[in-house]
Amino acid sequence: MTNLSLDPPISIVRGQPQPGAPDNWRRFFTFSTDHKVIGVQYIVTAFVFFLIGGILSMIMRGELITPEADLVDRTVYNALFTMHGSIMLFMWTFPVLVGLGNYLVPLMIGARDMAFPRLNAVSFWMIPVVGILMLASFLVPGGPSQSGWWAYPPVSLQNPTGNLINGQVLWILAVAISGVSSILGAVNFVTTIFRMRAPGMTWFRTPAFVWAVLAAQLIQLYGLPALTGGAVMLLLDLTLGTSFFAPERGGNPILYQHFFWFYSHPAVYVMVLPVFGIYSEILPVHARKPLFGYRVIAASSLLITVISAFVWVHHMFASATPGWMRMFFMVTTMLVAVPSGIKVFGWVATIWGGKIRFTTPMLFALGGISNWVFAGITGIFLGSVPIDIHVNNTYFVVGHFHYVLYGAIVMGIYAGIYHWFPKMTGRMYYEGLGKLHFALTYIGTALTFLPMHPAGLMGMPRRVASYDLEFAYWNVIASIGGFLLGLSTLPFLLNMVSSWIRGERVGNNPWRAYGLEWLTASPPSVENYEETPIVISGPYGYGGNKPLVEHAPNPDLTDFPESFTPQEQAS
Amino acid sequence: MLKLRAILILSIYAVLVTLASVWMAKQSYAWFPPEASAESKLLDDLFSLFTGLGTFIYLGVIGPFLYSLVFHRAAKYDLSDGPPIEGNKWLEIIWTAVPLVLVLTLSFVSYRTYDKMAVRGPMELVHLHLPNVVPAAYAEPFDSTPQQEIQQALETAPVEQIDVLAKQWAWVFHYPEADVTSTELHLPVDRRVKFSLRSQDVLHGFYIPAFRLKQDVVPNHAIDLELTPIKTGTYRLRDSMFSGTYFAANQADVVVQPYADYQQWLTTAATQAPTPAYNQAAYEYSRTGDRRTGNTKPKVAVRGWDTIPPAPPPMVNYAPKHEVNSPPA
Amino acid sequence: MTVERVIAQDIEASVREHQEHDAAGNSKFGFIVFLLSESVIFLSFFTGYIIYKTTTPDWYPLGVTGLETREPLINTMVLISSSFVIYVAERYLHDRKLWGFRLFLLATMIMGSYFLWGQAVEWRGLPFTHQSGLFGGTFYLLTGFHGLHVLTGVLLQLIMLVRSLIPGNYDNGYFGVEATSLFWHFVDVIWIVLYTLIYVWQ
Repeated sequence: MTNLSLDPPISIVRGQPQPGAPDNWRRFFTFSTDHKVIGVQYIVTAFVFFLIGGILSMIMRGELITPEADLVDRTVYNALFTMHGSIMLFMWTFPVLVGLGNYLVPLMIGARDMAFPRLNAVSFWMIPVVGILMLASFLVPGGPSQSGWWAYPPVSLQNPTGNLINGQVLWILAVAISGVSSILGAVNFVTTIFRMRAPGMTWFRTPAFVWAVLAAQLIQLYGLPALTGGAVMLLLDLTLGTSFFAPERGGNPILYQHFFWFYSHPAVYVMVLPVFGIYSEILPVHARKPLFGYRVIAASSLLITVISAFVWVHHMFASATPGWMRMFFMVTTMLVAVPSGIKVFGWVATIWGGKIRFTTPMLFALGGISNWVFAGITGIFLGSVPIDIHVNNTYFVVGHFHYVLYGAIVMGIYAGIYHWFPKMTGRMYYEGLGKLHFALTYIGTALTFLPMHPAGLMGMPRRVASYDLEFAYWNVIASIGGFLLGLSTLPFLLNMVSSWIRGERVGNNPWRAYGLEWLTASPPSVENYEETPIVISGPYGYGGNKPLVEHAPNPDLTDFPESFTPQEQAS
Repeated sequence: MLKLRAILILSIYAVLVTLASVWMAKQSYAWFPPEASAESKLLDDLFSLFTGLGTFIYLGVIGPFLYSLVFHRAAKYDLSDGPPIEGNKWLEIIWTAVPLVLVLTLSFVSYRTYDKMAVRGPMELVHLHLPNVVPAAYAEPFDSTPQQEIQQALETAPVEQIDVLAKQWAWVFHYPEADVTSTELHLPVDRRVKFSLRSQDVLHGFYIPAFRLKQDVVPNHAIDLELTPIKTGTYRLRDSMFSGTYFAANQADVVVQPYADYQQWLTTAATQAPTPAYNQAAYEYSRTGDRRTGNTKPKVAVRGWDTIPPAPPPMVNYAPKHEVNSPPA
Repeated sequence: MTVERVIAQDIEASVREHQEHDAAGNSKFGFIVFLLSESVIFLSFFTGYIIYKTTTPDWYPLGVTGLETREPLINTMVLISSSFVIYVAERYLHDRKLWGFRLFLLATMIMGSYFLWGQAVEWRGLPFTHQSGLFGGTFYLLTGFHGLHVLTGVLLQLIMLVRSLIPGNYDNGYFGVEATSLFWHFVDVIWIVLYTLIYVWQ
């Protein structure tokens, strides 16, 4: 808080002065209330934890390269997959997408900042606390939580050391803090998107990314409290000896699963919806065509928000759920395919007949979509009760959701980072390194997660430290792929660091893209816009001649003629 | 002329995709363990249908996608935009309606398969049974055989009752009629078997991949599960719901044998006095010793943390012979 | 050019007005969104309570036949009436009558504290603990979690009361008071549901 008053008056500093300028990196370590600084803070912090979670997963793949449990002790393996899942979800995927949303939403809707800038900073600074709690649990006696990221009781209530401070307690606290941070963030996003859109930006002139972020954050608002409720009860069971979920004291462990999945399945959409938004933004730019069926794609995000509230039991088809529940949730689960399909078909139609350029963000977006199609289809398999009864809790599920999380979501995040990198830094990334990164990531994803499907169909349960010899073949391939994925982050890191320092300087709108965020400086000034833009047309005017905003503000800051009169350019 | 060519290309592509889908649907049977129960045949047919349709959808989307990526590239210095097409109402209605119909159909087919399996599962009282919706006479040809097998098994002999107890980390099978306990699951072939699943401590998952069936075992509940083994052989029972430290080692063998052999095994086992069975978890735990004193020789590279001690090895009439030198995984 | 420029600046000014000086409106919107989200926690606890109560064979622990309803009813009356009292306080503030505001806000705080005290007395007299099966657990969870909210409400009111002593603090709007009042009504509504579930439905 005090750092704020030390800052010079806002009007004379830029949000992110040109890289290399003295002092500029320091602002990323302060309690800044600028949504752009917070956005970068989120993204970088999350990426550090992505690397940590990745190292954990590579140790796991090292263990699984042989059938016996010989590299690490079984307790260590159990801790590894628990922390891998928890860190990747709570410390990487959620925060990095909140970071991208934080950076982009106010810019895209023509606002000067989020609705509650200080609350925004508070939400961010909870994230390192969560991370420290998670990592600290490696140091307490008994080690970190070993009950999986679901923390299903009764296993999560078994406390071998008997200490009050144990890995499971720290885990619950971390998740609770992360939940508070996410709820505050969601309140901020929803208020910003509802009330701070620039004049003229009606709902159907709002970019699809903003729609998707809104849809995702609404899920946080109705879903997270249920998880928090379940976590509070679990914590009380663990520390105060209540009996909510403890069967030996008369409790009902299945009820926890309902609390948990009521949030944690929709949470998948919290992660995937913003990525859908990223695809919807990137494809039109790099295919030079308007988003096909923009209104339907935008509205289908909200449809997913609604349907996703009624699908959670599909994680519990094998968990002593009665037949009617199995049938009802099978139908609702399959219905999610409809809005998801609308989006995929819309994207294919968008690039159809366009002028496609294989830039790195475009490659990642296209790769992500192709993986998503595959993951969506295996998702329908999993929605069918009889099939799920066989593959539930096997590596088929692991393969499926990693295709969603890595194949579609992480690739989408990379696409977003590359696409808006020139906006965030004023410099261009290195295309060659970007393409190398894409190739390694795409091959690595297929190599790691595709073999998990046949292993699961053959009956290999998930979360095993050792397995029967028949699964060895697929596991060796998956392990090699896993190490390749680890390797694939190196060109990305190199690219980001070196481009930020010495990349080629580019203008405000290197992609010649439509969208309010491209009308302002790169990097944008503290207040984003010197004059609030007044929107007069829809967000994807490629091929038309419609200007996006009234009497183009700040003509010196935009590459207007280029992007708004393409025909003249061509001739 | 151009339109004709497009229609021709599309038709050829559609035929190719259909052929590929049929091929994949046939291939899918090879991805599974042997079909050791009647229910597994039902499941494999359903899975094959899903695989076929899934392949069709996947190629149907990816084909145009790749075509566009190959043929709709911008030339190097072409800075122009594509055509400003913002949507097409009919196309959008079609690609909303078709998936909707498709997933509802798939739900319906899945429901019918589930109903035919009649695995009962938990809370039999509220088991969804809609005889009006699915008349008994209506049965698709592609999966009538397994259903007949289930019917036959039900009609020819009484249902075999077996109690299953799961604990950290062992499976104990109790045959109430002969009063035999065992750590290996023996089943008669072509008979309907009814398990009563119970857990002593935490959640476990009763999962036999060769049967394609799985049911979580919940403490304080006895959950019923019915199935029909149809193929003799030895299969694997695995714990599918994460149950703590030695979860991965919590496995057992399943022996499906002719009814006579099964009876023979039961009578022999009944004469044996109960002895402690080999237990992988207890064996490993005993080797780690007391971690705190540090005088341990674990065979792993990285030592672990404290764990819930495994339950003592179960006392059973029959336990499979086990060679200490080569512990099962 | 000049006419356009003037119009543009005019619009610009009104936009800034809308976006920045409507901070109180944003805050109110955000606060309501937050309360809606918060209510889902209670909703999940209520759902848990209903499921436990309808599926557990021996709901009450040994020796417990039910809950005394008389004192809790008085408590309930006090809490519900305090909602009206805080409304009156808000009206006074609206009319810039600070002493009336302070008086009625203090009355709300006293009523809220009375509720908390009544709750504490009830807890001490109960023959079961939070470890007494699912009934004990859910009872203490629901009343305790709600009690925490009442305590938060009273503390918020205290802050508002102290801030009213700063001269001119509420001259430019009083979102804090509005939020406190909203929160208090929210706590009340939750209590009505909770009372119905625990005390009426026995």
